[in-house]
Amino acid sequence: MWAYIARRVLVAIPTLLAVYTLVFLFVRVAPGDPAVAALGDYASKEAVEALRQEMGLTDPLWVQYLRSLLGYLKGDLGRSLINRLPVSRQVAAALPYTLELTFAGILLGALIGIPTGVLTALRRNRLPDYLGRTLSLVGLSIPAFYLGILLMIAFSIKLRWFPVMGGGNLSSPADNLRHLALPALSLGIIMTSYVTRMTRSSVLNVLQEDYVRTARAKGLRERAVTYSHVLRNALIPIASVVGVYSVVLIGDSVMTEVVFSRPGLGKLMVGAMLQRDYIALQSLILIYAGFVILINLLTDLSYGLIDPRVRYD
Amino acid sequence: MKRFLGLVVPLTAVLGWGLWGADTLKIAFPASDLNTLDPHYAAATNDRAIVDMIFNGLVRYSPGDITEFEPDLAESWETSEDGRVWTFHLRPGVWVHPYPGNPEGYELTSEDVVFSLAKAADPTSSAYAGEYTGMAFEAVDRYTVRIVLDRPLSPVLFLPKVADYAGGFIVPKAAYEALGDGFRTHPVGTGPFVFKEYLPTQKVVLVRNDRYFRGPPKLAGVEVWYVPDVNACLNGLITGELHVIEGVREQAWVKQVKGLPGLVVDVFGPGETEVLHFNMSKAPLDDLRVRQAIAYAISRDELIAFIGPDIAERQCAVVPPYLAGGLSCEEVAQAGLLYEVNLERARQLLAEAGCPEGFSLDCYITERASYRKPFENVQAQLARVGIKLNITVVDHSSYHSLIRQDANPIVHYECWRPNADVFLTRFYHSDSIVVTGAKPDTNFSHTTFIDDLIEAARYTLDPELQACIWKTAQLRLLQEMSSYPLYISKFVYARSEKVDYGYELKSSLALYPQVNELTELR
Amino acid sequence: MTKGHRIRSRRVRAFLRNRTAVVGAVVAILVAAIAVLAPVVSPHDPLEQDVYHRLAPPGGEHPLGTDDFGRDVLTRIIHGARVSLTVGVFSVLLAMGLGTFLGLAAGYFRGGVELVVMRVVDVLMAFPVLVMGLLVMAILGTGLGKLIVAIGVVLAPRFARLAYGAAVSVRETEFVDAARALGAGPWRILLRHILPNVFGEILVMGTLWTATAIRIEANLSFIGLGVSPPTPTWGNMIREGVNWIVVAPWLPVFPGLAILITVLAFNMVGDGLRDAVDPRLQT
Repeated sequence: MWAYIARRVLVAIPTLLAVYTLVFLFVRVAPGDPAVAALGDYASKEAVEALRQEMGLTDPLWVQYLRSLLGYLKGDLGRSLINRLPVSRQVAAALPYTLELTFAGILLGALIGIPTGVLTALRRNRLPDYLGRTLSLVGLSIPAFYLGILLMIAFSIKLRWFPVMGGGNLSSPADNLRHLALPALSLGIIMTSYVTRMTRSSVLNVLQEDYVRTARAKGLRERAVTYSHVLRNALIPIASVVGVYSVVLIGDSVMTEVVFSRPGLGKLMVGAMLQRDYIALQSLILIYAGFVILINLLTDLSYGLIDPRVRYD
Repeated sequence: MKRFLGLVVPLTAVLGWGLWGADTLKIAFPASDLNTLDPHYAAATNDRAIVDMIFNGLVRYSPGDITEFEPDLAESWETSEDGRVWTFHLRPGVWVHPYPGNPEGYELTSEDVVFSLAKAADPTSSAYAGEYTGMAFEAVDRYTVRIVLDRPLSPVLFLPKVADYAGGFIVPKAAYEALGDGFRTHPVGTGPFVFKEYLPTQKVVLVRNDRYFRGPPKLAGVEVWYVPDVNACLNGLITGELHVIEGVREQAWVKQVKGLPGLVVDVFGPGETEVLHFNMSKAPLDDLRVRQAIAYAISRDELIAFIGPDIAERQCAVVPPYLAGGLSCEEVAQAGLLYEVNLERARQLLAEAGCPEGFSLDCYITERASYRKPFENVQAQLARVGIKLNITVVDHSSYHSLIRQDANPIVHYECWRPNADVFLTRFYHSDSIVVTGAKPDTNFSHTTFIDDLIEAARYTLDPELQACIWKTAQLRLLQEMSSYPLYISKFVYARSEKVDYGYELKSSLALYPQVNELTELR
Repeated sequence: MTKGHRIRSRRVRAFLRNRTAVVGAVVAILVAAIAVLAPVVSPHDPLEQDVYHRLAPPGGEHPLGTDDFGRDVLTRIIHGARVSLTVGVFSVLLAMGLGTFLGLAAGYFRGGVELVVMRVVDVLMAFPVLVMGLLVMAILGTGLGKLIVAIGVVLAPRFARLAYGAAVSVRETEFVDAARALGAGPWRILLRHILPNVFGEILVMGTLWTATAIRIEANLSFIGLGVSPPTPTWGNMIREGVNWIVVAPWLPVFPGLAILITVLAFNMVGDGLRDAVDPRLQT
């Protein structure tokens, strides 16, 4: 298994390199100029040229390419073209907001989704099942930004319960939680839908397994069967793949950050895109890509933990 | 439900308590982050707003009213007979903010002022160097600064260069040298508020300058927030998380916000000019009749009805009437160059030009609403005479790059410029022609025929004669229909009624309501 | 009747027994019909501005009110269906065609083709869908065709993986050997013997991804990277409408409902198809 991990990590390196190359070329083909973005429309052409030079944009492409690449090898994410601060500092400031949102979304999803999923599976084709399935399908279909807007209209503008913008002060838990509530609810609702469906089909699969039938045949009470056999066997795969949804939900979390103006990675990335901050943008996309690769690796590994029959070769 | 509410209400009350400090003003701009807080580079409104609170000029526009200058760092000034030598007497006891390495700050002197002006004049350390060519700066004594011009300038053209705007902001020498490249995100000045902290993509925090020379500010501090979505800004204002926001320049928006309890909307001048520039170097717009047809096809009144009559004002010449040398609509009407909407006339001109069925043009436009939305209305208006605009929306910086590469046959440009000379030079002098000019700038129309008038006016000391030449130049532009002025759009800011700026907000050069020592939250 | 026919008719019957799926199909067909017939069924011109009657509330001449240019909202929602469905369907067809072709080729030929295709797939899969979509649109600029290409490129690797897996698992089986022994060329084998084996799954995935593609389009339009104005799309109607939440809350709500209903319909159909194709995975 260690050899497998080592090989996967080795494969990830050229993948990341290719991702970097692709992003590097993409952002530089894009129209727009960070120097113009930074100086605004009043600046003269000379000022723009001077700034381009200062930003290192007048160097040949391959020099720029290698410069960033060497930086990455040393663990340096570069400096933002716009405000000249180290990208790593911005990432460090934004990361807690993204992580807490993702974590809260997954937590809510698991807390609501797993019981709902079990219930719908056990009451298959009855009212709770129809209701649960329909609602979770709605949750899968609603765009995150639209859900965010609806929650905002209801809970912030009409009821005034929660703030509508920002991430709150990280050192003040109450303030932070108030700001987290609506975005987390928004993401949590979507997450719940995924988890409910996943749990339901997982439980249904277990219910068809031989040992459950045997247990029933032995005359065990239904509740005992449910708890001792079904849940235990169904929950392991659910728990292990919940992390996968953090990948599925990246887009939704970016949109949620944008709608609620949370200072997370997603907002940072959209901002970098709009300001043509090449350096920050390529570093942020690399971080997202690295995250996806990491989660995929962990997921593949977790299959082996759940099902010892899976061999890594 | 009742039980649920019973639980939630005290909970939110507890969480809501002590959320914000009493006297910190929170102002939000629809931007994703700052660009730079070096005043000699700051260009975006949100950057200027911060710079304005931290720095001073030698003179300043009266807060809330840009038609007058008053002393700022300089207590008084005089000019020589020939208009070439300007002498400024500094206010003693002006204290530079503390900065890393100097927790006390120091007294600002002529050395700092000369350094700052030289920095503003240096293209490697300023975006506005072009405005300071042909000027020499000298420290006569500790509190006296002398500026000698190669060629004399009238006060209308000279004073803005040393006022509290762009290159005129005074950057203290020792602080700038100590911070180096870090100055752009850690500005140090002499103004009513001191830079404290910058949280990227989130906010900039300023605190009161207790040693401010006009007396300590009433506010404890100011936070400038970056909230890219205008709607989120408004929501923040509604919920009380913000006190001042930049609004949408549309009447319907103003009406919507005015209807909300506790909120006030300020609509103030001077406003930005909204002008369509026609590329006269390429078919079909190289034909005067086609350009005139477009002018006749557009109804300013419809645009103004769309934007809203409180916000949009008719503009009939390229320099707005509130500036010296600007032309009012009456003056333009007298000259017979108003081009009031006349679809018949437009169709007839198109037919004469050989395209009775109209034609189609590909144009880029920025996503920014104040450009895009009126342009969409122009698109719908032109469609009525068969002219089809195919619009591609790009982000704001791409738009500014693309139009400078001459990509658009019709350029919509929204801007404010400090005087007629800057307007005319940068948009209509042949040196400024995009791509091919000697100093490529924003002459999108490829106008070449008013160079002599622009230069003559620049060095005319008699204000009346100067204004007269500027007006003549503009009438020439209208005759050739090199560009079509649409309207002037005023600024819209919404605030909580608790905010008192401390002055009457009529017009703000800074394009935003200035926050100063008199501003308070009640 | 051949075995294939029997399977097919059994699947059709299973699908038709699934009430949710049938409802979804009916709604999807309805939305498609509205999109096709947009000029006939809409009460107004989607582009005609009437700035003197902007932000009119729902009712009377404008059943869903007017937007900030005084355009009829109902008409724009109806026309918006065209963009959403065009992008949803064509981007998925593009992704499906491109991805399936490359995946099958990689799985069948192995060697260099496999190495190159699957490495590219790995790289593209490392981008979160929306991030890739944003990036591609930021480069290409706005426009319907570009939107289709952008979303198509984003989704293609997903189809490639599926087709690749199928091709790998089938290529060594006896009936493929038999076909090869009878002198069938590789493309014939791929199209006649391997593709039909995965076609059901590809169709299921295609339907579900159509739902996702419509959502991605809405996301991109909401950020402002969709189709150029004045063409109405649901996403940019929400984007514009959000600014008027206080005076005209219906502006963002109605187009959002249109997105929700359409995406939901495609998801319902996709679920039904999956159950019909593979009863084991019944959800």
